[in-house]
Amino acid sequence: MYWLCVAAAVVILSLLALVVVYLVSIGWRSMNWAFFSQDPQPYGSDGYPGGMRNGLIGTMMLIALASVVGIPIGLLCGVYLSEYSAGSLIAAPVRFVADVLAGVPSIVVGILGYQLLVVPLGHFNGYAGALALAFIMIPIVARTTEEMLRLVPQSYREASIGLGATKARTVVSVVIPAATGSLITGVMLAIARVAGETAPLLFTALGSRLLTLNPKYPFPSLTKEVYDYATGPYAEQKREAWAGILVLIILIFVLNLMVRFSVRRWQGAK
Amino acid sequence: MTEIQEQLVDQEVPFDSGPHGFADKPFSTPAISAAPGPAAARPASGALAVGLPADPVHIDTARVCDTHAEVVAEKHIVEVDDFSLFYGKTQALHGVTMNIPLGKVTALIGPSGCGKSTLLRSFNRLNDLVDHVRLKGRIRFRGEAIHERNVDVIELRKRMGMVFQRSNPFPMSIFENVVYALRISGERNTSVLHEVAERSLRGAALWDEVKDRLHQSALSMSGGQQQRLCIARAIAADPEVLLMDEPCSALDPIATAKIEDLIYQLRGKYTVVIVTHNMQQAARCSDYTAFMYLGRLIEYGPTNNIFLNPHLKETEAYVTGRFG
Amino acid sequence: MSTAELEYASHAPAVTGGPRPTIRRQARRFNWLPAPLTILATCSGAFVLLMMASLLAVLFYSAIPSIRTFGFAFLIRSEWRPNELEQIKRNAQGNIIKDEDGEPVTETIPPAFGALPVVYGTIVSSGIAMLFAVPLSIGAALFLVRISPRPLVNPVSFLIEFLAAIPSIAYGIWGVFVLAPFLQARVEPPLNHLLASVSWLRWASWNSTTGRDMLCGGLILAIMILPIITAVSRDVLRAVPRAHIEATLALGATWWQSTWEMLRYGRSGLFGALMLGLARASGETMAVAMVIGNINEIHPSVLAPAQTMSSLLANEFAEASTELHRAALLEVALILLVMSLIFNIVARWLVVGRGQPAAGRR
Repeated sequence: MYWLCVAAAVVILSLLALVVVYLVSIGWRSMNWAFFSQDPQPYGSDGYPGGMRNGLIGTMMLIALASVVGIPIGLLCGVYLSEYSAGSLIAAPVRFVADVLAGVPSIVVGILGYQLLVVPLGHFNGYAGALALAFIMIPIVARTTEEMLRLVPQSYREASIGLGATKARTVVSVVIPAATGSLITGVMLAIARVAGETAPLLFTALGSRLLTLNPKYPFPSLTKEVYDYATGPYAEQKREAWAGILVLIILIFVLNLMVRFSVRRWQGAK
Repeated sequence: MTEIQEQLVDQEVPFDSGPHGFADKPFSTPAISAAPGPAAARPASGALAVGLPADPVHIDTARVCDTHAEVVAEKHIVEVDDFSLFYGKTQALHGVTMNIPLGKVTALIGPSGCGKSTLLRSFNRLNDLVDHVRLKGRIRFRGEAIHERNVDVIELRKRMGMVFQRSNPFPMSIFENVVYALRISGERNTSVLHEVAERSLRGAALWDEVKDRLHQSALSMSGGQQQRLCIARAIAADPEVLLMDEPCSALDPIATAKIEDLIYQLRGKYTVVIVTHNMQQAARCSDYTAFMYLGRLIEYGPTNNIFLNPHLKETEAYVTGRFG
Repeated sequence: MSTAELEYASHAPAVTGGPRPTIRRQARRFNWLPAPLTILATCSGAFVLLMMASLLAVLFYSAIPSIRTFGFAFLIRSEWRPNELEQIKRNAQGNIIKDEDGEPVTETIPPAFGALPVVYGTIVSSGIAMLFAVPLSIGAALFLVRISPRPLVNPVSFLIEFLAAIPSIAYGIWGVFVLAPFLQARVEPPLNHLLASVSWLRWASWNSTTGRDMLCGGLILAIMILPIITAVSRDVLRAVPRAHIEATLALGATWWQSTWEMLRYGRSGLFGALMLGLARASGETMAVAMVIGNINEIHPSVLAPAQTMSSLLANEFAEASTELHRAALLEVALILLVMSLIFNIVARWLVVGRGQPAAGRR
């Protein structure tokens, strides 16, 4: 039995290795400078297949837009759950709902975005995609913010209140600055999660072959382009898809590493 | 014989009438352990001293508290009037009546769980932060009841500075810690901030040690320095009363001695109420001492009297280390 | 007080500071208005509740045409046909009805939708995923908690959690280009042959194996839910009191016996971990959509292509043209949402609810 457990861990790690090694090696071979500098070119044209520059920029813009909406709301919700939950009637339901929302399938969120933001506007647009991503971000940011703020020692709050500060002042001047590092890691986790999402974008931003900075119309994203290429018929495009996946994985890996190290450092400083 | 003397005739505590040998000396005498009398000498705070009989001491806490006349004669800044406090169903304070004299150092002593910290935290309404707290009776600050609806709690807390058991400097620079109270009052003038910072740090006997590293993190200081920083931070708010909840319990003897000196210097300018487990500390620093047990005030009088000449045998049992 | 004491008191300087303002509240400013932070924070909390409510409300509202048409039978019908069907009309004896020109009369049968195939697909693919993932995850969690040497715990945990961070579409690509061809070439032919040769297992075989079928979908899902079950199980097992395990060892239990006791103690939390894995598996979209074959029919064999609720939505939603088609898809989305909510709620209750709720602090 003992060795079965060891074998289980070994199997999991080897599966991870299998997946990552394949993705990295094939992606690496497909990577070239054109990937980053060119937009997709149609079949039969000169620069075919081109690159995924529009997807990279599109994903970055979508994440930026989603963060503008999602991070403040998530942070404030986390502050509410941590500091104002005593004596509040809605705090327990909010915490419960935030937990449950984090597990909702992302394609359902995409459909919600479609019904609410695409249908009224008449066409697919980037704003709907960004807001669908924000919908996914908010519960994650809220829960991690709450956990991190709870770790701030109560003695700080007491000292501040004892000096005559109001609760809002205490939260803004003492509690949040004390937890800044860990709040940032929570945000990074949410961004890492959202960067890899495809399903919410399928019916909201839809995707585009052009480089565009206008979210009022169908908007490109790295994940959607990879999906299109991978399920398409052309071999060169499939190779591009591998490269795109590699970029995505590297981005997420780096974000996760940063999170791990800053959490370790923050916990060590305590 | 006075009434008290009549009472004491029946008890075992020898009653000294007339001026005590210590009356000629100033209040807080470090050498109190050299006093005559059976009580005084070896208050071993906490543990039972070896050799004392292990008979359980029964305290009849339903007795009315004994407040010495000297306390009553003083001018008061905080008046506690039959104050009771409940945490949910548990009663933490039972009808405490006492007055804190202006400009003096008052010590609250008693075994763990007797309610001294609870009483202290009621003075600046820090108990508001706890769920399910119920109050009865009244506490007055300069004649005004503090638990009323129309009281500006922020203003009250600015007038009562608090120093906690474990030093809790904010994770900011030393300077920012000290001027925090001013910043939340809206003071922006940097010269004023610097001036107050210097004054408070001098008042806390910390200026010389930190004057050239004011912008370093407060967490880089030693425990004793951090606690003095917390005192400076409390002083910077220009309070009238300083509430100290076992400020030296987490410190080594040298740091403790420095803070006790500081408390001695602070008297007069501030009214200090200090909760302490360490009876020698209470004897050294304070002018008046109140002995509490199980949420009730048992005896309250000048420190000398409490330690050398307590009226009640329960007090004597505690200060001689018979229990607690 | 003695004379000396009185003397001291009279020399002691009075408390500094002139007359101070009363501590009674001044009726100035708007102190009845809570601080901006309080308002914003409370609104954000309420907004989260609004998010959940809107999700349920919008899906339900949009699915009404389909609900009205099919009712509860939607859940057990297995026909999914977005198009109208032109069929030659036959009379009661089965003869073709002809009109006055001698041409057969055709009738149009309206589109019909039923969710049973996709519900079946979701359940079976998640089931396969759990079948493979649970033993591996619990084993790895036990490894991390009981066996692993100290320095290995953090790196191994990090690597396993990195598996969770890999985006779904990466798994999809890996499945399409690596796993599916591998299954098609190496695994499924012999498996199919084996199943076909045993008489009572013939129902489980399939006539053509492309590698993109329920089995592949289930395996990909298994890899995807491994990290979350492992991580939560590890936390649950770590929380079992050491004293409890030491007590069993002191009574002479073998390694496995004390480990079994550890599993038994944390069984509700472990079950919650399984629920979380199940919730993730049932909601997973992109990876499944790429490897499951996308045929919306029920077949008993796992070597047959299939469709899950989320893959159906991914494939058909963008092209749904009629209102009924879209409403039917939305009803499927609603079923998916409700299923995932139930799993998540049960999981949360098992993992979190049995412990102390978060303490209230003002």
